[in-house]
Amino acid sequence: MSTNSIKLLASDVHRGLAELVATRLGLKITPSEIKRDSTGEVQFSIGESVRDEDIFIICQIGSEVVNDRVLELLIMINACKTASARRISVILPNFPYARQDRKDKSRAPITAKLMADMLTTAGCNHVITMDLHASQIQGFFDVPVDNLYAEPSVVRYIKETINYKDAIIISPDAGGAKRAAGLADRLDLNFALIHKERARANEVSKMVLVGDVSDKICVIVDDMADTCGTLAKAAEVLLDNGAKQVIAIVTHGILSGNAIKNINNSKLTRVVCTNTVPFEEKLKLCPKLDTIDVSAVLAEAVRRLHNGESISYLFKNAPL
Amino acid sequence: MRDLIVLGGSSHPALTKMICKNLTIEQGQVLSKKFSNGETSIEVKGSVREKDVFIIQSGCGNVNDNFIELLIMIAACKTASARRVTAVLPLFPYSRQPDIPHMASVTGAPSISTKKDQYTYESRPGTPKPLSSFNGPRDPSLTRPDSSGLITPLLRGRDLKDPFREITPRDSLVPVGTPVDARGKTESGYKQWIAQNGTLIANLLTTAGADRMITMDLHDPQFQGFFNIPVDNLYLKPLLKHYLIDYVPNYQECVIVSPDSGGAKRATSLADALGCSFALIHKERRIKTTEGVKAIGPLGVTSGLSAVNHHPSPGTHTTVSMLVGDVKDRTCVLIDDLVDTSYTITRAAKLLKDQGAKYVYALVTHGVFSGDAINRVSKSAIDKVITTNSVPQNDNLAGLGDKLEVLDVSRVFAESIRRIHNGESVSMLFDHGW
Repeated sequence: MSTNSIKLLASDVHRGLAELVATRLGLKITPSEIKRDSTGEVQFSIGESVRDEDIFIICQIGSEVVNDRVLELLIMINACKTASARRISVILPNFPYARQDRKDKSRAPITAKLMADMLTTAGCNHVITMDLHASQIQGFFDVPVDNLYAEPSVVRYIKETINYKDAIIISPDAGGAKRAAGLADRLDLNFALIHKERARANEVSKMVLVGDVSDKICVIVDDMADTCGTLAKAAEVLLDNGAKQVIAIVTHGILSGNAIKNINNSKLTRVVCTNTVPFEEKLKLCPKLDTIDVSAVLAEAVRRLHNGESISYLFKNAPL
Repeated sequence: MRDLIVLGGSSHPALTKMICKNLTIEQGQVLSKKFSNGETSIEVKGSVREKDVFIIQSGCGNVNDNFIELLIMIAACKTASARRVTAVLPLFPYSRQPDIPHMASVTGAPSISTKKDQYTYESRPGTPKPLSSFNGPRDPSLTRPDSSGLITPLLRGRDLKDPFREITPRDSLVPVGTPVDARGKTESGYKQWIAQNGTLIANLLTTAGADRMITMDLHDPQFQGFFNIPVDNLYLKPLLKHYLIDYVPNYQECVIVSPDSGGAKRATSLADALGCSFALIHKERRIKTTEGVKAIGPLGVTSGLSAVNHHPSPGTHTTVSMLVGDVKDRTCVLIDDLVDTSYTITRAAKLLKDQGAKYVYALVTHGVFSGDAINRVSKSAIDKVITTNSVPQNDNLAGLGDKLEVLDVSRVFAESIRRIHNGESVSMLFDHGW
């Protein structure tokens, strides 16, 4: 067998994370070109041979036109497959349609499953993602899925920037209790939970706090922040219950719709997101935003995957 | 009809409504909305359990968004235990297969065009000038048309480009890491190629759960082979035939013209069906020249063929268009399956008028007319555009007024849905239309 090497590919929009990963690995992103015609159809071409190479496609999906990004990614995968790549791994830090993972009402689609099928149909051999909304989504795939955790990076951030002995970890909903409890254990902190009754998607209604937060720095952890309505309301509930200040740490800061306005008007001291979702422009608009860089974790995962080493070390430790 | 459900995507609700009206059934209710993060949410309102479901979604508007919406709808029906799901795609997305990508950006139509007040309708650098304005010496032996009077292949494309086929070092025309030459090769000899999306789109539809496909005038008939499920490709030809017979005066006298060599078969089959004569415009792209117009002058030009090169500097790419066939004082009918930027068809119309055509019709199955196309067409030499409502035409009608005529394809689609649902033959529609 001939030696094969890592080739990184990225779309022409949102290259930020891909550039960071490439720098970490000491590689250049493989030149490629994407052209879109006036109706939005995509033409993709790769600038060098990928025959028998180990392909990693890094795709950041933000809050703009998700479907355009998805189809673009599928076309990129298929292009590599037909160009005889040895293995195609897709790095999708923020898995699209992760929230539509079950048939929650009659005749509702399980779109996450459809995404999984589409990725495998296009020719993807391996998926790397981060903090999947429901880790069961891994079972939707017929190919290996590595679900990385932002937790080690979050732990480091909390230790370095927050006076964490006074802190308490808050889960904004029952579903995230496990994630929050895990983080609290790692930091040896207490943990509280907010219970909310959700009327419709993207809307929040009543909130009840379970636990004591008086005179504490509250750290709300969640996997995804969309319009940030939940976070803003949670902050109010926590402050009403005597909290000193409220910080939110979310893995995927989609920050769509009125998110920036909601954050600016809210009583949150800080909102911290990882850079799985592109939000460079939003960082300028909102002084309360802060970033945790996860490119080191992704780059290390790429390196380990290419060399056939174990990934599980990354579940507990974040490389510097 | 029993157990038949027709659902519509958000790309073309008017067509869905008309198809349902023709089938005399109520349209199935689907709630399609966007989550605030841009993801599509689909809710099928009525039960589809053990039903025969048809989902209508045209490849227009925001193509990618609409296509994913269709995939989600198919998957939703499948998980909701539909017996059979048929995707109806009047215009099939991603059906155009590009050849070498970068050349198109140099000589062909730009992918996005801006509105302008004046158009030259010249190929860059040159569409052929009419014969009268051509002053070069002419060899009389070359002007003799051949026995059929239609095709005069006395001067071949190869002969044309040979005198100046010099490859010059390439400048950075393509903003990709490594420079590529006219054949898409990089310095290292690696040939850059473009992803062919056809199979992928077919596989995605099958993966989502589609059991059958209906479409119309596929750009490549070979596309059917990409699918592992039955594909019914309907034809607009019968409708066009009726239109020409009913509305074009002296239709036997007109010339059916294909604006590019790829569409020759489509044009000849219509010409045969009507008993008309046929002509072809051949575009020779990707020629590199180092000499000026002088290079082609001495070669002479035949009666039905003209080719002129204009180019600003040596070593650029030129387009040579050639008309094969006689159109002088005739009514010309251009036929194409898809008009997007309208560059091909408006240039063809100008070439025809320059060659003495009296009146130019343009028959287009899928009139997408994106970007600046409407403005371009309205100022062009085309006298009348005939298209269909396979994609929404309201905006185009407002822009073109009387110049545009829209044929209704909802009846063809409704009839094919009825026949497929009842297990009857669809092939009758291919010949007779509906």
